[in-house]
Amino acid sequence: MRIIIKKIAEFPSNFQSYFRDWISTFRAKVTVICLIGLSLVPLLTQNPYFLGIFTTFMIFTIFAASWDFLAGFVGQVSFGQAVFLGVSGYVTAYLIRYLSFPWWLSLVIGSIIAVIFGLIIGIPALRLKGPYLALGTLAMSLIMYQVFLMGSLATMWENAFGTNLFGAEGVSQITPISSDTVVEYFATFLIMSVSLLILTHITKSNVGTIFKAIRDDETGTSASGINTTKYKILAFMISGLFAGVAGGLFAMRFRGVNPGVFQPLYSFYAIIIAAMGGLATISGSAIGALIFVFLGEILRDTQDLSLLIFSIILILFIRFAEHGLLKPTLERIQELWDIVLGR
Amino acid sequence: MGVILEVKNLTKKFSGLTAVNDFSFEVRRGEFTGLIGPNGAGKTTLFNLISGHEKPSSGTIRFDGRDITGMKPHQIVNLGIARTFQLVRSFRFMTLLDNIAVSCLSPRGKKVAKEYGIDEYASSILAAVGLVDKARIPPIILPHGDLRKLQIGKALGTNPQLLLLDEPFSGLSHEEQKGITDLIIKLHDDGVTVFMTGHVLRELMHLVPRVVAMHQGKYITEGPPQEVANNKIVLEAYLGKGSEQLA
Amino acid sequence: MIDSLINFLILGTIQGSIYALLAMGFSLVYGVGGILNQAHGAFYLITCYLFYWCYINLGGFGLIVGIVVGLIVVTVVGGLVYILLVKPLKDSHVGVVIVTFAFAFLIEQVVKVSVDPLYHSMPLLIEGSINVFGVKVLNHYILVVVASLVIVTLITLFINKAKIGKSIRAVAQDAEAASLMGINVDRILAYTVMISAFLAGIAAILYVPIDIVAPHIGWSILINSFAIVVLGGLGSLPGSVLGAFIMSYANAFVNFILFMPEISALIPIVVILFMLILRPRGLFGKKEID
Repeated sequence: MRIIIKKIAEFPSNFQSYFRDWISTFRAKVTVICLIGLSLVPLLTQNPYFLGIFTTFMIFTIFAASWDFLAGFVGQVSFGQAVFLGVSGYVTAYLIRYLSFPWWLSLVIGSIIAVIFGLIIGIPALRLKGPYLALGTLAMSLIMYQVFLMGSLATMWENAFGTNLFGAEGVSQITPISSDTVVEYFATFLIMSVSLLILTHITKSNVGTIFKAIRDDETGTSASGINTTKYKILAFMISGLFAGVAGGLFAMRFRGVNPGVFQPLYSFYAIIIAAMGGLATISGSAIGALIFVFLGEILRDTQDLSLLIFSIILILFIRFAEHGLLKPTLERIQELWDIVLGR
Repeated sequence: MGVILEVKNLTKKFSGLTAVNDFSFEVRRGEFTGLIGPNGAGKTTLFNLISGHEKPSSGTIRFDGRDITGMKPHQIVNLGIARTFQLVRSFRFMTLLDNIAVSCLSPRGKKVAKEYGIDEYASSILAAVGLVDKARIPPIILPHGDLRKLQIGKALGTNPQLLLLDEPFSGLSHEEQKGITDLIIKLHDDGVTVFMTGHVLRELMHLVPRVVAMHQGKYITEGPPQEVANNKIVLEAYLGKGSEQLA
Repeated sequence: MIDSLINFLILGTIQGSIYALLAMGFSLVYGVGGILNQAHGAFYLITCYLFYWCYINLGGFGLIVGIVVGLIVVTVVGGLVYILLVKPLKDSHVGVVIVTFAFAFLIEQVVKVSVDPLYHSMPLLIEGSINVFGVKVLNHYILVVVASLVIVTLITLFINKAKIGKSIRAVAQDAEAASLMGINVDRILAYTVMISAFLAGIAAILYVPIDIVAPHIGWSILINSFAIVVLGGLGSLPGSVLGAFIMSYANAFVNFILFMPEISALIPIVVILFMLILRPRGLFGKKEID
């Protein structure tokens, strides 16, 4: 306990020096410019449709970053990321719709439940490695899908509580963060920035070093005296937290959830976004999500066709460009920057 | 000097094969001991049992008087036994400094490391194993000899009392062997108990004062290397595999 | 009561024969190449839809043409998937997993876009039925069981006796040693994936007439194959055949004895989770998951 208090007391000065180091890097400057740019979008347009697309893009950024954290930094490839998205989405939606909780409290509770699911999934997942983990987590998301789709459960729940939870309809007609899309935009923007900041910070911390070690060689990590079990569960919980945050925002953005959120499709979205941005980058998810959401919007009327295109894009990225877009783009920009400054 | 490691009636059976058979021996604190035996004698399995990477079928292992049989690898490391692997393992995409830092972040390593700061302490270990000028590069591009040094460095990060080295010379050139030998001697002089395997007797001859001989999972004999090398069963074991391996 | 018991026995046996074909191929690819092919269901889907397309568009000869085209195409696709997608990424488990997963998704979307996203059905391969102890048994059912039995036997013989089969077993035991002995490991792995795809194709042709045609069925095929293989033991062929029958009888039991079809979709998933947690080696597997 004393250590925690000491850490909190040291935080402001630590943060100052940390921030000064960080801002001096090239990547930090690009990040700040991007964030400022994003915060200016509502000045250019207040068209709810357009701002809505941006909000969706930011939600998917958080979701994909949570997957990238688990796969890229801890080496645990999950095909069940949709479980966290769905669980938190359902909890958030239910609390808002039937218990009239404020949105932020519902979001917090939803995310906490997602963390608990991270723990539940993390424990059996500990015995699974590589492709088994992928298929095992895929199976878990299918279980959730089937359970939430069950008609008999829907009737039972309705008889017991008089509300809709299970069944194909899901929880619908929930109120968004705000009826003002600009407020919704900024709330999502803030949450996304903080989420990415925390995730990036974790990957650079001592715990992050241990995560990367587990990714590179699990047996070797345990031979270095690290309790890999503990850290893998922790990683699942962290990933669950941020996927849960995305899930709650998702439910509010689309005014409801249905069992469809548990389908492999949503896990697939996270993977393709992270792969486009570049694995093990965290912020690469933003580039991936930008392309994904806008391309998806252009191909809106032909959803199957857009998924077809995305599958091809994913295959090409994994096969030929495993670094994704973020790193090469940053390198190009840095070269240009150097030329402009005449270095 | 007390007994630091005590192995009693240790047996490990894989389906149909007994890799370690009723094996007993002791290592005393501060000792420098070798474990010899031809390929397939069960040396690596014995190491895996001591370090907790495999569970014994029967028998006990005591470390510093404490029963550690069946404990998990990380628990054993944190009691003070560190090991290296015959096939080198490293964290491929992390810098050498971070490779060492992982061990320094283990509960046992951290107790020492946090006084100096994790990175500083990891650098000092890199300096000790002679890799400090390569701190910022990943291990993928290192030559084999440096990888063996890194292995030892990773083990040192956990601040071990007993160091288990599995074939630390395998695949090394003569020059590189020399470097590793000097490093191991230095560590032993610093007070670390060293227990190492080798299937080529010649390598161990001039290094260790005492060897334990193993053949087909069984304890054969122990004593000064010269004596053990002339033991009839040991000779047969090696000759059966090919006499060129002998000293 | 007696009706449901007979249904249980007949449909359990039918489904078991189909699952045996699917799981055998899935297990073979894992046992030989260490590849958990997430596109296994996609192979099934490819033959399924080629078969369906030929039947709809080519009239009378459609069924025959569909069988031939469906099997040839799926076998070729299997080889291409290995050579173009899996082989270049073989060193990275993550890469193989994601790329085959993406391929499965791609095939699902191709089917949706090029045909339609609806449910369809197909006619039986042979009409008529026979009477067994007063119970009507469709001839098609008999065909399924006989054909599966013949093919499982042929494949087992092939792997144990044929020259390629021996190379396959050599690669399964130790790929490095096999390549030192002059076996082209990549070619053998490509053959293995092709055999696996061919088996999935046969399963599709036999099963589609008594099941449905829909874009999403590939996933349940994948999950069921995985469940069976996990149950029988990864890489064990007899284990996968036995696992197939255990799974299908369990499924039939839930459907026809307990009358709880809602639960049946959960069976494979529960089996996967329990087996992976309690006995990762499966009932007959040699390899621990590592």
